[in-house]
Amino acid sequence: MTNGFGSVGAFEIRTTQERGFTVEEIAEDLLNKLLFISSEAHPAIREQAIAFKDRIRPAIIHYMKQAVRSDRTTLAAQLGKQGHYDMAEIIRRL
Amino acid sequence: MAISTAMCTSFKSELMSALHDFDNPGGNTFKIALYTSSATLGASTTAYSSSDEVANGNGYTTGGNTLTSVSPTTSGTTAYVDFADTTWSASTITANGALIYNANSSNAAVVTLAFGSDKSSSNGDFVIIFPTANATDAIIRIA
Repeated sequence: MTNGFGSVGAFEIRTTQERGFTVEEIAEDLLNKLLFISSEAHPAIREQAIAFKDRIRPAIIHYMKQAVRSDRTTLAAQLGKQGHYDMAEIIRRL
Repeated sequence: MAISTAMCTSFKSELMSALHDFDNPGGNTFKIALYTSSATLGASTTAYSSSDEVANGNGYTTGGNTLTSVSPTTSGTTAYVDFADTTWSASTITANGALIYNANSSNAAVVTLAFGSDKSSSNGDFVIIFPTANATDAIIRIA
């Protein structure tokens, strides 16, 4: 949106209902931040950038899932330590 | 009552008076507050107000989230600033717009953001994703 000499860029709003975002959804946001492909990019460069994006997507998703699992392990351990075994089990089974 | 996306006019003037410092680290604290459709926000907004702000609770705290800014940079003849995406986790929120303001400078308004319609989270996440940081897309640009 142009407003005299200053402009405000186009932002996005994302929301979820009764859940958080999935690893895949967040990974896509991350990829869009890491790899911006200009609309004026040469077609060959554009294709290469898209190919690279597709190549690194599985690796990002894999390590993000590992981070989520690891955090759940920590949460379950903390809940177990406090005697909340039922809650710890719920977290473990997610 | 309406919310429009705009760079606040007072902000432009305040830039010339050196009232805003986007450097990170060392700069001012910028926050983003969410508003309901009852709010009036736009170029004439001069400062944060809690009037018609999303109610405190359910994952939202009055005053909004603190933003992590990326120090101003330039590309060609355009200067721009970016912020890290911000999330209200495990929230139940309905908002129609937002205000970015400088919490270190009398809560002076920076830009207003119109969502176009009510956006809602329900026991979920409410995220504002800022655009790519470049001269043509960044959230705050001065050409």
